[in-house]
Amino acid sequence: MEKGQLKERLASAASMPKDVVMKAAVVTAIGNFEVCIENYRGITEYTECLVRVQAKGGQIRISGKRLQVEYYTNDEMKITGRIENIEFADRGNKE
Amino acid sequence: MIRSFIRFLRGYVRIRVQGFSPERFLNMCSYHDIYVWGLFPAGSGYEMYLSTADFKKLKPLAKKTHTRISLTERRGFPFFLFRYRKRKLFFFGLLLCIILLKIYSLFIWDIHFEGNEKWTDETLAEYLRSTGVEPFMPKSRVDCPDIVKNIREEYNDIVWVSASVDGSRLKIQVKENEDTLLDTDDPEKGEEDAGSIDKAADTIPDGQHPTDLIASADGVITSIVTRSGVPQVHAGDQVQKGDILVLGRVDVVNDSGEVTGYQYQKSDADIFADTSLEYSNSIDRTYQQKVYDDREKKQLYVKIGDYSVSAGSAANDYEHSELSVKEWQIKAGENFYLPVLLGIRTAKSYTFQEKSYTDEEIRQILSADFFQFCKDLEEKGIQILGNSVKINLYADSAAAKGTLYLNERITETADTEILTIERKETDESVGTDD
Repeated sequence: MEKGQLKERLASAASMPKDVVMKAAVVTAIGNFEVCIENYRGITEYTECLVRVQAKGGQIRISGKRLQVEYYTNDEMKITGRIENIEFADRGNKE
Repeated sequence: MIRSFIRFLRGYVRIRVQGFSPERFLNMCSYHDIYVWGLFPAGSGYEMYLSTADFKKLKPLAKKTHTRISLTERRGFPFFLFRYRKRKLFFFGLLLCIILLKIYSLFIWDIHFEGNEKWTDETLAEYLRSTGVEPFMPKSRVDCPDIVKNIREEYNDIVWVSASVDGSRLKIQVKENEDTLLDTDDPEKGEEDAGSIDKAADTIPDGQHPTDLIASADGVITSIVTRSGVPQVHAGDQVQKGDILVLGRVDVVNDSGEVTGYQYQKSDADIFADTSLEYSNSIDRTYQQKVYDDREKKQLYVKIGDYSVSAGSAANDYEHSELSVKEWQIKAGENFYLPVLLGIRTAKSYTFQEKSYTDEEIRQILSADFFQFCKDLEEKGIQILGNSVKINLYADSAAAKGTLYLNERITETADTEILTIERKETDESVGTDD
């Protein structure tokens, strides 16, 4: 945790983009029908109503209806459908 | 759009991944840079699209992740061709299409003109045809510099030409000299006037015969501005038709005031005069009106060269009939007319009915005619000062009669009378004086 905080401070001090320095996930939501995720590690679960994506800081859970992965590459994925929740879960309380 | 087209061209497949951990398989795919799209859960696994090239790389991944991959669909152009590989005619047609496209692109199909105002497209196309440049000529025979040279030589007032082949279209851009549209007089007049001073008396400038300006109508001169020649009248003078207004012969006098010779020139002046014009117009009260009945005959026809095929007939036995023809010539592009005409010939039957105008109608017709007459005069640059035209109604006709008072240009050119002077006498007299 210490290391992470230090990095965050450094990044803010040097005004460097945190997604590069800390390898944090970038989640871009457009309305409630499209979510783009960058800087992730992989998909851990994918059903029509829940997509779990593993990122560096923890897990990102996107729940909704009729979710579909439009495309899935090494650095970016796009999920469409009716999105109801975007949650960030800590690494500690994995399900 | 482009991406999906490229995908289609290369071919792609839809697969179903089932097994213990299909997510792991997905992550492996992204790790190995395999582009996956249209992913959705199906049953206990996933279905997704990937390109045929990537599909071949999947075997080791499937083995490692203990998943089973099944191909559910093949899509794209390579598969399309494979599916229809037995249809020989289809491939023949495709080949023929490519060959025809190539052959057609070897010809000029259209000539496009730009920038021409005075010379119409038709005129220029007609001229080009006479030099052998026309639609359906091989592209290799088009010689752009030659076309440019020809047009420049043929049309003096086209100051700039550019010809270029744009696909199967010949594009000709021209720039006309706009000054020549306004200046219709000979441009060398000034120089000739200057030259004539130096010349000996009694000479006529080259290539120009001297002219007078004479009155074209009776009237009273209101203004006179002379540019060349000797004015013979003043503003306020009464002139008769045929009177000389400006003389094209200038006297050359010696020191003692005697005329030793003449200089001739083309007279030029703006002379306006008040004139009058008699106006009369009469119409009968009764007239025959065409009344169409519903009978008509139509003939449709297609004309190809000298041959024509028609449907129906316009031949009829009506007492009075009106025959109208409408034709359309089919053209490819802008200027490439095909020798195919479509036409409709219509014969309409009508009868005459005797009718008569009411007072009000006849008055309206006569005054409309008169206004049109005035408008025509004004368009010619004639100023109308007033009129005394009255409409008289009679039992079986009506007439508009009266005088129009106008102010108009009354010049008309006429040849100058050439006078000769016996020069020897004058020379001698000058000699004796000395």
